[in-house]
This record gives sequence, C-alpha cells and structure tokens, in this order.
Amino acid sequence: MGKYLLRRILQMIPVVLGTTLLVYALVFALPGDPVKAMFGDKPINAAVAAQIRAEYNLDKPFIIQYLLFLKNALTLNFGNTFSGQPVIDEIGQAFPVTIKLALMAFVFEAIFGVIFGIISGLKKGKWYDSVILIVSLLLISVPTFVTGFLAQYFIGVKWRLLPVTAGSDPGFLDLLMPAMVLGSVSMAYIIRLTRSEVSSNIAEDYVRTARAKGMSNGSVIMRHVLRNSLIPVVTYLGQDLGALMSGAMISETIFNVHGIGFLTYQSILKGESNMVVSIVTLLTLIFVVCNLAVDMLYAALDPRIRYA
Amino acid sequence: MSEMNSNSKNEKNEKLFEMQKEQGPILEVKDLKVDFTTGDKRAVHAVRDASFNVYPGQWVAIVGESGSGKSTSAMAVLGLLPGTGHVVGGSIKLEGEEISHYTRKQYEQVLGDKMGLVPQDPMSNLNPVWRIGTQVEEALKANHMDISHEKRSKLAKALAGSEVAVKSEDDETFIGSKELPDLLKAAQAALSEAGVTGDKAKKKMDYFTAEWVPGSETRWRVADDLIKAGVSDDKAWAIAKQYVLGSTMTDRISGLLEEAGLPDAATRARQYPHEFSGGMLQRALIAIGLACRPDLLIADEPTSALDVTVQKRILDHLHALTDELGTAVLFITHDLGLAAERAQQIVVMYKGQVVESGPSLEVLQHPQHPYTKRLVAAAPSLASQRIISAKEHGENAEALMEHHVKGEETLEKSEHIITVSHLTKEFKLPRKKEMFKAVDDVSFSVKRGTTLAIVGESGSGKSTVANMVLKLLKPTSGTVTYEGKDISGFEGKTLLDFRRHVQPVFQNPYGSLDPMYSIYRSIEEPLRIHGIGDKKSREKRVRELLDLVEMPQSVMQRYPNELSGGQRQRIAVARAMALNPDVIVCDEAVSALDVLVQDQVLRLLNDLQAERGLSYLFITHDLAVVRQIADEVVVMQKGRLVEHATTDEVFDHPQKQYTKDLLDAIPGGHLQLGLD
Repeated sequence: MGKYLLRRILQMIPVVLGTTLLVYALVFALPGDPVKAMFGDKPINAAVAAQIRAEYNLDKPFIIQYLLFLKNALTLNFGNTFSGQPVIDEIGQAFPVTIKLALMAFVFEAIFGVIFGIISGLKKGKWYDSVILIVSLLLISVPTFVTGFLAQYFIGVKWRLLPVTAGSDPGFLDLLMPAMVLGSVSMAYIIRLTRSEVSSNIAEDYVRTARAKGMSNGSVIMRHVLRNSLIPVVTYLGQDLGALMSGAMISETIFNVHGIGFLTYQSILKGESNMVVSIVTLLTLIFVVCNLAVDMLYAALDPRIRYA
Repeated sequence: MSEMNSNSKNEKNEKLFEMQKEQGPILEVKDLKVDFTTGDKRAVHAVRDASFNVYPGQWVAIVGESGSGKSTSAMAVLGLLPGTGHVVGGSIKLEGEEISHYTRKQYEQVLGDKMGLVPQDPMSNLNPVWRIGTQVEEALKANHMDISHEKRSKLAKALAGSEVAVKSEDDETFIGSKELPDLLKAAQAALSEAGVTGDKAKKKMDYFTAEWVPGSETRWRVADDLIKAGVSDDKAWAIAKQYVLGSTMTDRISGLLEEAGLPDAATRARQYPHEFSGGMLQRALIAIGLACRPDLLIADEPTSALDVTVQKRILDHLHALTDELGTAVLFITHDLGLAAERAQQIVVMYKGQVVESGPSLEVLQHPQHPYTKRLVAAAPSLASQRIISAKEHGENAEALMEHHVKGEETLEKSEHIITVSHLTKEFKLPRKKEMFKAVDDVSFSVKRGTTLAIVGESGSGKSTVANMVLKLLKPTSGTVTYEGKDISGFEGKTLLDFRRHVQPVFQNPYGSLDPMYSIYRSIEEPLRIHGIGDKKSREKRVRELLDLVEMPQSVMQRYPNELSGGQRQRIAVARAMALNPDVIVCDEAVSALDVLVQDQVLRLLNDLQAERGLSYLFITHDLAVVRQIADEVVVMQKGRLVEHATTDEVFDHPQKQYTKDLLDAIPGGHLQLGLD
C-alpha cells in the first residue's frame, strides 16, 4: 500500500509538468500583446514597454520563460500580475470562495442525487420515477448558463427568495443559488447512476439469499442493495469534487462570484500567463489528489480491490 | 453393493419413512400455478397444477430441464419469485399452514428458521463486500437465534430420542472458545485420573481437540465423549457443566462454517467471498441455509456449478448434516442420476407440469412418462452406468453406446494429427516470487478421426492445454505439432491456414457468440475472413451448415439472445465447421447445457465425426460425458498428466487413485439400475 501511494505521488510530477507546459504554451500562443493592453488607449512608450517586457521576461523565448516560471514556482514564488499584485495573494483571496461554493454544491448534489436515485431505483416504473427521470434529463441537457439565468429570474428577481448575485465576500445565502445551479448537472448524473445501480443490484442473487435468511426488507435494502450501489456513486462524487473546484467558471461568472473560475476568466482576457498557469497548476494538483483519494476510497469500500 | 446390505438399508429407509409419515408432510404443494407477466401484460404460465409433498427428514428431488418450472416452484414456496412472477392458484402449506398468500412481512417470519435456501450459483449468491462471517451472522440475527444453545428440529429429537437419553435444554449449550483450553486441560486431568495414560490418552486428547469445535459441539456431547473415553459419569458431567457455558456469536459462526465442512473456519469467517473457491463458497451458503436450523431446506441445484469431485464431497456432507439435524430437503436438479442417488422421492417436471413422481428407484427403473424415459436415456451419468452394468452382466455393451470406441489396434495404426510433447506453461502469480506451473510436462497425441478427452477438475490445466493447442497461448516450453509441423513457427499465411484446420468450440455459448452479430453473420464470418467464395456461395454454405447442425434456416436473421443455450452451442458448432476443419477443440463444450440438450450436441458431434472423419480434442470435467464420446482419455491433475489410456481401460481398470475418485464422483454411480 505504501509503495503504491509513493508511486502514485511520484506519478504526479510528470502530470503537473506536462499540464503547466501545455497551458503555458496555450497562453503564449494567445493573440494580442499583454503589454499593449496595459497601456489601453494611451500611446505606448517604447522604453517603458521594453522595461516591462524585461521585467516580466516577455522578451525571452517561450521555453526560457517557462523554465524561469518553473524555477520560481519551486520556491513558491509565482510572480506578480501586471498590476503588481503577487499572484499568490490573488489566488489566496479567490480560492476560499470557490472552496465554499464547491463544497455547498457537492453536499447538495450528493444528498439530493442519492435520495432521488434510490427512490427512483426502488420504485422503477412508478409515476414519481418517471418525473425524477424527466427532470434529471432536463438538467443534463439544458446548459448551465440557461439554468443559471432561469434560477436568477425566478428565484432571485420574481419571487425574491435568494440574492440574485453573490458579489465579493459572499455568505451562505448568497452562494446557495449558485451552488444549486452548479451542482444540478452532477446531481442529475448521480440520480441516474444511483437509479441504475439500485435497480440492477436489487435483482442480484445475493439479495435473494439475504431475503431467504429471513432478514427484514429494510435491512436487505440497506446492507445488500444500497451498500453495493453506493460504490460507483462515491467514486463519481470524488472525481466530481475536483471538477467542482475548477469547473465553476460559468456559474461564477453568471452569479458574479469572485472565485477561482472568475479569476481565471479575467486573467485569460488580460493575458496574465503567470496567473493562468499558476491557477492551472493548483487545479491539476487538486484534481490528481482527488483522484488518488477516490482510488483509496474505492479500495476501502470494495474489498475485491487491493493495490500493490 | 451386496444384497444383504441393500436390504438392511431398505428396511431402515422404510422405518424412517414410517416415522416421517406419522408427522404429516412438512410441505404440501397442491395444484400450484405460477404466472409471469410479460411487458405487454400477457401471462406466461411457468408452473401448472404442480403437486408434491415433503415429509420431515425426507429428501425430495424435483428433476427437469431449464425452463421446466422446477426452480420457479421452489421459489414460489419460499415467496421469492423473481420479477413479475406470482402465484395465481393452488396452495402451499408449510406445517399445515397456508403460506401462498403471505405478505413479505409474514414470509420474513418463516424464512431462515422454518425454511432455508441453498442457492444455485455460489459465486453470485454472497455479497462481495461483506465478510463471510458477517453474512452468516445476518442469518442468525434476523431470526433472533440463541447463539449459546442448539435448537434442533422435532424429527432430530425423535430420532435421537431412541438412542440417547432425553436431554434437558441446558445440555444443548455450545462450547465457547474462551473456555476451550480449560476444558481440554480438565479433560486431560480427568483422563489421567481415570487411569488412561500414554499413547491412548494422547489419541483421546487429539480426538477431543479435533471434535470439540466451539459453537458447534454441545455440553452433552462433551460429556458423552468423556464417558466413552473412560471418565466416570459424574466426573464427565461435572466437567461438562463447569466448562461448557455457551458460545459467543463468533464461536457460533465458525462452528456453523466448520459443520458445513469449511476447515479453519475461525480464520475463514473473516475473509471475503472473492478469497474463496466455488466449493468453499457453497459450503458457506450451506452454513447460512442451515444456520437457524430450518425444518425444510430448499437446495436449488446446489452443486451444478462445481466440479464433480467437489460436488460429491459437498452433497455427502449436506446429506450427513441434514440427516443428523432431521432437516427435510427439497432438492432441485437437472440430473436424474444425481436425484436418484440422493433423494427418496423424485418429482419430474416438464413444461411447468409434474409429469411423474414416486420413489426414486421406481421412477428410474420403470419410468412411465415419455419425457422421463428420455431423461433416463439421456443422463450421461446413467448412460455410463448402464454400459458398466451391461458389461458386468456379460452383455453386449456396444449396442448401448452412442459412440463406437475404436480399439487399441485402430488407434495405434492411425496417424497422429496433433502431437503435444513435454508441454509446460508457467504463469507469474501476483506478489509471489516463484512461477506457478499451470501445465507441467504434458505429452499426448490426437489420432486422425478419433476423440481424445482431457479430464480434470478446474485448475488442473486442461483448458490451458487447449489454448496452447489452439495457439492462443504461448507455451513456456515443449511443442505442439500439427501434421508433423511445429505450430510455434506458424505466422501470417501458415497461421491462417492452421486456424482454418483447427477450430474451437468454447464452454459458454452465451459468451462465445457476439451478441451484435446475427446468426448468419456469426457463421459467415470465418468464411469471409478466409476469403472463401463470394457472397452467394457463402450464403449457400451457411444454409448447409445450419442443416448440418439441425437448425432451421429461419434462424439466420436472428440474434444469439433469441436462442436457447443448446441452440447457441449448435451455432457455435456450425461456425467451427464452416471451414471444413480437421480438428475441433471442444473446451467444456457441453458442460453448461441441460442433459437432454447435452445429449443432442454429443450426438451431433459423434455423427459429424462418423461422416467427416473429424478429430476432437475434448476438454471436460465430467467423466460421464467422456464415456459417450471419447476413444482415449488423458486425466490431468494440478497441471500434470496422471493417466493416459483408452476409454475402456480408464473406466474398467483405472490405475491412479485420482482417476478412481473421479469415477466414484459420477452421480448415480452406485445405483442399482434395472436393465429394461
């Protein structure tokens, strides 16, 4: 087990190096000159521009820029934004907001996804199963920005139940609607996954064996149907947590949540390669760690899986 | 079996039967009707007017092919009908009480402690995520079993009552693992006090250590054992009372598993199902089925998924156990030989109806219904039995044999089409340094136009040999030659040519046909790959092949899931025949099929061999089938070749103990068959 863990952690190194190089190259290839953008409408002073270029290493070839970034990143110095703020500070401000949002969305989708999925799977063919199925299909097929605007219009503007946007430093209620919108698609997937797992597990031979023991229906469902059905669901949830941490770009923009997604979007527009690459490095790490955690969890839940 | 012996056994049986009758039937099924509802609300009649009785302590077998309604009847009794199945008529009485209308809650009350189940497929009947012990514990907890005391059924009490003095409830207290060391010490002391010393004492102590299983052996047995060893009555009872104080849940679980024949049960109970072999899983399921001492155990093909030798051991054990507990058993099987050997009464079902029932030997020797006659004729176990007994009576056995075995002379003269010499295959096992030898120095040859059978249990390496002969697996060392040429050298065109002449038929007809291919496409595929003929001539060939395997040409446009197992296996044979091969490698080709279907496929293979001079390499675990098809037999055990002789030699004069065990395990082997 320890050996396996070490191997997995070592595997992260090429993954992180690869993604950062790729993202660095993509940002480098973006059309437009960030220095020109900094001057905005003002005339460009060639000397000042050259100085800025030198300061941010923009005058050097791509690969040198990347290696310099890496060198600094190893000492946890991610450089400054063009406006002079340390990159790490900006991330430090945005990240807690995203974590809060992601966790809320996660709890929302896990609880409602599993509950509706179980109801649906146990009572396949009943009218509420059909309703749950149709709603989940809608949530999957309608893009998040549509769901987001609809929620804003009805819940926020028309019925005035929740704040329309979150703004900076949002509280629980401010984030509730964005979290629900963010988690809705995954919730729909979890409903469908749970439903199909439950309905196939309930026909398993060992469920019949359990009934033949004279166990009550409730404990048969709990111990033999749900326990087994939740293995793939938990795996999905674990991977989704990683996705929620990074994939909030659309929701954060719609609801004006100043989180990582929002920051990434802004930074891409400004061509802040340092910022974008730093964020991506962070997200890659989160993703890889989540994946590792899921694999460990999987082994804990299913005794047939052993890592060596 | 001598006359006298069987007479006294019959007498004993009759006495037992009288006792059973006295108590009235424990299960009374009358005119049972079970329907399944299809998607478009039509009712499919799975069971029609089935009636049968089970008396306390009796083994009753329901025999029939798949789809005959035998399992459905059993599940209806348990209230565990799958899907849309429901009882639409008739009555099911358990101990005189009508249970067919029971709700799920009411069924929960009778399941486990009145009726137990030992299901068919051990691999899928235990939940992979719970430990074995936990799953036994569930059964005990669900029925609020007193784990420190034994609960025995009425009949067991009645049977025991005649031999042993009436015991009070307390005497049924189990040994606990905590007190066991002290108990053994006290026993040792008592022995030396009673003047039993030296070797004799040691032997007695060894016996105690082996027999006194915590959670399984009771106080009165301890006392009984001590008294038999020479300890005085008072002393023995004093020790038993002092040290046998009742078991814990863990003790009881391992006691139950130990009873079911699982060695080292305390450790085993903490393992998960995937760490068990099929035979061990089935033992665990037997422990679960009997955990709450039900009066009726329903065993639904409990050993069909297992090797014959394991099957015999498990059924022997189950028989002894249910006899001791006085449990009645409703035994579902498709093998008439097995049913006749194990059960006192046989109920034959066909297309949802009971077509015949009666005492086992009666049904076997004088079958009345045409279907039963066919079953008797087809059962491989009985067929080989018939040949053996015909020979014993000095009659001409040839007439009874489907397959005319070639004599040693013909075999010697015929040309070797496939020769296997010093074949070895090693596999790397995970987390182990040394290599595992799946096949160890095996040599034999298949002669043109004959059948060589490789027999062995699972894990004996027989399928690995087949895969190496087919060049699907590379041998570690040794060679396989086809018509004198080493197949390891075949590549590209020569390999394609080899594939054309050596074709496989695999075990699982459900898995070996692509579900997305129509039957036509499946059979035509080899022709297309080898670029034989044009579209038109290929279609003609497919039609011919379907005729050859006696399938209607209308199946061409259908898909594998629309066919039964036997039909699929015919399609697999047709596909193998498409290229006019010389050799067909049948890897357990009939093992998954019902006896009647098995018989048909074997006949087909025999006919094809007679017509076209095919050579077969026939892999099977079932010696009974071998008798019907093979000229030569190779017996394999743990990767090694243990015996190689003609079929007659193997059956008449087996050389090795292992071969004898295999022969002994053929169900129905000890039946007295009437030769009518």
